[in-house]
Amino acid sequence: MRPSGKKARSGRLTRAVDIRIKIITLIALVATWELLSRLGLISMLALPRPSHLVVTIGRLATVGFPIDITVWLHIRATVWRILQGYLLAAAVAIPAGLVIGRLYLLERAANPIITFARSVATISLLPLAIAWFGVSELSRVLLVMYGAFWAILTNTIQGVKSVDLTLINVGRMFGASKSGLFFQVILPSTLPRIFAGMKIALGISFMVIIGVEMIGTVEGLGALIQQARYFYKSDIAISGTVFIGIFGLLISVVLDWLERRMLPWAVGLEEVER
Amino acid sequence: MKKDRFRLGLIASWLGFLVIIVIWQLISTFGLVNPELFPGPIAVARSVAANLTAVRVLQHVGFSLMRVGLGFLLGGTAGVVVGVICGWYVKLGAVLRTPVELLRPIPPLAWIPLAIIWLGLDEASKVFIIALGAFFPLFTNTYKGMITIDPNVIRAGQMLGLRGVRLLLRVVVPGALPDIATGMRLAWSYSFGSMVAAELIAASSGLGYMIMHARELGTIGVIVFGILLIGAINFLTDYLIQDVILTRQLRWHYIGTTG
Repeated sequence: MRPSGKKARSGRLTRAVDIRIKIITLIALVATWELLSRLGLISMLALPRPSHLVVTIGRLATVGFPIDITVWLHIRATVWRILQGYLLAAAVAIPAGLVIGRLYLLERAANPIITFARSVATISLLPLAIAWFGVSELSRVLLVMYGAFWAILTNTIQGVKSVDLTLINVGRMFGASKSGLFFQVILPSTLPRIFAGMKIALGISFMVIIGVEMIGTVEGLGALIQQARYFYKSDIAISGTVFIGIFGLLISVVLDWLERRMLPWAVGLEEVER
Repeated sequence: MKKDRFRLGLIASWLGFLVIIVIWQLISTFGLVNPELFPGPIAVARSVAANLTAVRVLQHVGFSLMRVGLGFLLGGTAGVVVGVICGWYVKLGAVLRTPVELLRPIPPLAWIPLAIIWLGLDEASKVFIIALGAFFPLFTNTYKGMITIDPNVIRAGQMLGLRGVRLLLRVVVPGALPDIATGMRLAWSYSFGSMVAAELIAASSGLGYMIMHARELGTIGVIVFGILLIGAINFLTDYLIQDVILTRQLRWHYIGTTG
């Protein structure tokens, strides 16, 4: 029941209206930008006009920058690094988290270390990684792994700790063996939290790799925009950033979709531990 | 029984740290790896004493904190303001959200090259990146808090005669505060990470610069010290934000939800 007269401010736009406003805004923004640029009010050097950016994006996709490294090769390099670091992190963090979460004293002992390790900014490890492994693929992958690792670990531990005790007792009552209890009760109820952790970790991996690729790297999206800046090519830097944005958006869309498909019972799960 | 378990846990949590440090020292004592590349805690302390002075370290810390503080304040304030506007004036909100949501998937670090092209290598480009890091989480959480507020609370406010901006500031914004606080913690961690990255890539002062410079000189002890220092500062500041804002100022929100 809504109060008559002045509407309660929870009133929101319908989806159709919302989208219509957004499309009009977008067109207006781009048109204004193009117009101001053609009138010479925006410097082409700082902010090239949209029509020029479309051409640049086309050139990145065909000719590439630096020459012969097309944007697809950059994307492939970035994806490959993320995948390696991310999967390595998951492969270690999930089993470790399952064990730590089950053992009270181990969990207590690990807790401060984990808290501190998470506070260490992943990107600050870059100089150390370079000193140890050089400016190499190994350095980049290990940094991605570090960034992803702690988010998955903490969420797995939290997941195991918050398994409903009643479920475990019921399992015991029905005579479940230790491994049966683990695989049929604890693991399934922990999965949503593991997934939440993996979701956060993928976002972190993406941020880390973009930063890492800005130092001493030739292939990769981060390298692309950093090289564009050395040559003061703002058109290429902006186009590269557009690709990064699309890439980031794609990651979150796919993850949301996967979560809804695979864990329909856990939709809306609060991401308690970041 | 339960108290004993808790006490044991407390001891364990200190032991964990101790064990790590001891193992770290033992590895270098027994020369399991090249001590040049992997100095133990004592070697790190020696290297720091030889290469750094307390004043120098404090200067770097000061520069970093000033940058991250300024960027966080600017970006964070903008995020809250835009979030409140988008949540209250729905049509204007749809307009404003268009560019914001288009730019949101771009991680703050990806702005570094553009920031340098636009603003040069001065402070402005660093503050800009840090501000972006704070803006998006605070915008998202403020907006979410604004649109998920219980409509009955608003109606109660209206019934008591509040309308317009007064209703917004007295009822709706306070109602969104818990979400804004969540956004604040996130924003701080993004700002902090952006600060370190920006200083690694382009700076001549600050903690990020300190460790990148140490790499060029090959003083690994200083790098390790810098990493731990950055971690400690991040941890302390995050703790302060959590303690001051979440548990003191917003205690009313958490009463009854946690112990």
